[in-house]
Amino acid sequence: MHFDLPTIWAILVTILITGYILTDGFDLGVGILHTIIAKDDIERRVMLNAIGPVWDGNEVWFITAGGAAFAAFPELYAALFSSLYIALFVVLLALIFRAAAFELRSKEESESWRSFWDKAIFLSSFVVALLIGVAVGNILAGIPIKNMATEGDMLSGFVYAEKFPISFLNLINPFTFHGFFGILVGIATVLFVILHGVAWLIWKTEGVIAERARSVGLKLWLPFVIMYVVCTALAYKISFKVSNPDLIRFLNLPEDMLNAIAQKLNNGVLEHALFRFPGLEIALIVLAAVCSVVYFTAVKNMQGAKAFAFSILTFLFAGFAVMFGAYPLAVPSSLGLEHSISIYNGCSSTLTLTVMLVAALIFTPIVIAYQSWVYKMFLFKISTESIKKEIEEAKA
Amino acid sequence: MDFVLLMSRLQFAMTAFFHFLFVPLTLGLSTISAIMLTLYYSTNKEIYKDMAKFWAKLFAINFALGVATGLVHEFEFGMNWSVYSRFVGDIFGAPLAIEGLLAFFMESTFIGVFLFGWDKLPRAVHLLGAWLSSIGSNLSALWILIANGWMQHPAGAKVAETLAGKRAELADWWAVVFNSVADIKFWHTTTAGMILSAMFVLSISAYHLLKKQHVEFFKRSAYIALVFGFIASVGEIVIGDLHAHEVTKTQPTKLAAGEALWESKSHANISLIVWADESAQKNVVEIPLPIPGLLSLLGAHNPNAEIKGIKDLQAEFESKFGPGDYIPPVNFCFWAFHLMVYLGFYFVVLFALGLKKFENLENSTGYLKLAMYSLPLPYIACWLGWAFAEVGRQPWIVYPLVDNYGEFVLPEIGLKTAQAVSPLTNVEVVITYVLFILVFVGLAMADFYLLAKFAARGPEKEAELY
Repeated sequence: MHFDLPTIWAILVTILITGYILTDGFDLGVGILHTIIAKDDIERRVMLNAIGPVWDGNEVWFITAGGAAFAAFPELYAALFSSLYIALFVVLLALIFRAAAFELRSKEESESWRSFWDKAIFLSSFVVALLIGVAVGNILAGIPIKNMATEGDMLSGFVYAEKFPISFLNLINPFTFHGFFGILVGIATVLFVILHGVAWLIWKTEGVIAERARSVGLKLWLPFVIMYVVCTALAYKISFKVSNPDLIRFLNLPEDMLNAIAQKLNNGVLEHALFRFPGLEIALIVLAAVCSVVYFTAVKNMQGAKAFAFSILTFLFAGFAVMFGAYPLAVPSSLGLEHSISIYNGCSSTLTLTVMLVAALIFTPIVIAYQSWVYKMFLFKISTESIKKEIEEAKA
Repeated sequence: MDFVLLMSRLQFAMTAFFHFLFVPLTLGLSTISAIMLTLYYSTNKEIYKDMAKFWAKLFAINFALGVATGLVHEFEFGMNWSVYSRFVGDIFGAPLAIEGLLAFFMESTFIGVFLFGWDKLPRAVHLLGAWLSSIGSNLSALWILIANGWMQHPAGAKVAETLAGKRAELADWWAVVFNSVADIKFWHTTTAGMILSAMFVLSISAYHLLKKQHVEFFKRSAYIALVFGFIASVGEIVIGDLHAHEVTKTQPTKLAAGEALWESKSHANISLIVWADESAQKNVVEIPLPIPGLLSLLGAHNPNAEIKGIKDLQAEFESKFGPGDYIPPVNFCFWAFHLMVYLGFYFVVLFALGLKKFENLENSTGYLKLAMYSLPLPYIACWLGWAFAEVGRQPWIVYPLVDNYGEFVLPEIGLKTAQAVSPLTNVEVVITYVLFILVFVGLAMADFYLLAKFAARGPEKEAELY
């Protein structure tokens, strides 16, 4: 591993993406639980107001991660978003519905109005978590992209080689490895955001909602751990072939990385492609597992803050295990390793990466500082009683 | 035109228009409600508290959809314009990322403080939240317009080749940030947001004053709107002139189409009304303003300067870039541009008239009706402005770098819209286009229904809760 600008940016983009899953993740989880553990309108309003002041700021992590990927890895941004066109479109629609649902739901008394938006909140939260997982799983297993510059086309960049409807249906086709893997990662992601939401609800609410959240957390913890283990085991099996060794220079890798990969090739196949640094991988995975166990005991003892902190740590370790597993590849190509987007052929110029790094170093700590400050101000507990009281007091 | 290209253009235009139903109101109303909150905390008068709450509620309903529709754009570049994105990402991505980091986080985090902080947080913190969310939303406009301004005038860049192909690369960061076109666009757009928001407040206030209800409440609101709107609309005339001057310098084909100027002319004039026969390359109807040399004066700040006409520009671009159509649709550009300007002058008159009649505003039925029905006009003006800015850029998605009234500085950075689209299939673009329209229309209707409902109800006591 080199500690150069593309690597730093790979780490920063990973932080932004995990930052998104960790912040918006719990409100996605609360959104999924919204219709499941809240039985009446007041209880649902407790759920919504538990995330009310913060969900919007959380969603900005998604936008910033997208912007940072655009700025730091434009080839990745262009290739990935046009390749996953329909999947990303569905995620966007779901996010749009969610934003609208939060704001519009309680502004009208009618029961059918509210129940429509309740369904929208559940479905959109579920779909976002699922499809993000599906996309990550597919990318890790390799997607069929081709570097057009290898054929002298200097404008098109990396192009998806299969066409719709294949491009979307392939993502969730359980009869292909990447599709199957994608679905499993999707399910694991859904389970994770639910557990993360559970931690938040225990922290932020009291009374029936917190208790029901606890029992959901205790029930879903084991399925999540099993899914995580299965996904990790499958990830160990991922390999990429090299179709044309002459083109491997298009990855633009530093000499020593190229050699390291060349040495690991077995008949033109890079086996255990995501476990080229087994020591680091195993360490990160074990850390994630340990944190998850601490999370479980915290939920059991109704310690919301602790559960929340350890579900954050679980995902951070798991997220970095994924990033370092793929490193230095950003989007591996299933057509041949040489067509992959690496962090070196997909990144921006040194000047852009430097300017952006300065901006990130100055502003990221500021953002984290004021977001934590705002979180802290809104950490007072709410419950069905407190919401009822607030509604009545305002009317009086 | 290629189907995927056509649909991608229509989709971007459609999603952008929906987005701009909500954005300008966010820009201006956040400031207006922050002003009201400041008045409340400094005077302790309950009426200002009710005002801040009432307008902030409308602001919140509008804001959610602004965020939701804006989300699409961040990703639409990569989805539909992958060739564009990879070609410009080295420069264009940075302002978008910084927008998120510097502005959008601020706006979205502190809007929670403002909307949910009533009586729960210390006053100073609450007020800070209101102002920071307003500053954040205007800052986000700055970075978006730096990105957009770069497409119009790609300063601070060079063209380079990498292992993934040819692309534009950053040469001078400060030239991108202090791009003269981008910076004037920022003032132009945020001021438009203020005019629109002032009209929004004025017209809802007029509705209630006509019904003679909550008179003191809405008279005070109207006063703030009139002062705010008058200053903004007069300022916009000056800013608009500076903007047109920049366009003359950097985008000669846009200006020529916007003025329907076929022949190059020194001492050029401005037409009030034009209808062009675009295939015959002449104007069938042309009613000029009786001020000779006005276009040369405004465009080049010199009444004797020569303004290049469409025919000469087409020839010049053809010799530089090969055969093709380098002139955007003339009638469309002329009318988008001119109607926007005419509306701009109308707003000055409307706000001035309101200030003059303010003493007896609640009884000026005619004026109140005029103000109430004028609500759609600033929305239309904003749309027309964007339509002129983006259609006038065609056939380019990145306009070749031009400066000093038509001198090519870096022509090879130009990228045509037709080259920039993603390799999508017809089915894909049809699916997203149709569903986007259905969803956006549905949400906009739900949103306007609620806006109308709460606006018509007037101030009332209710918990600030989801």
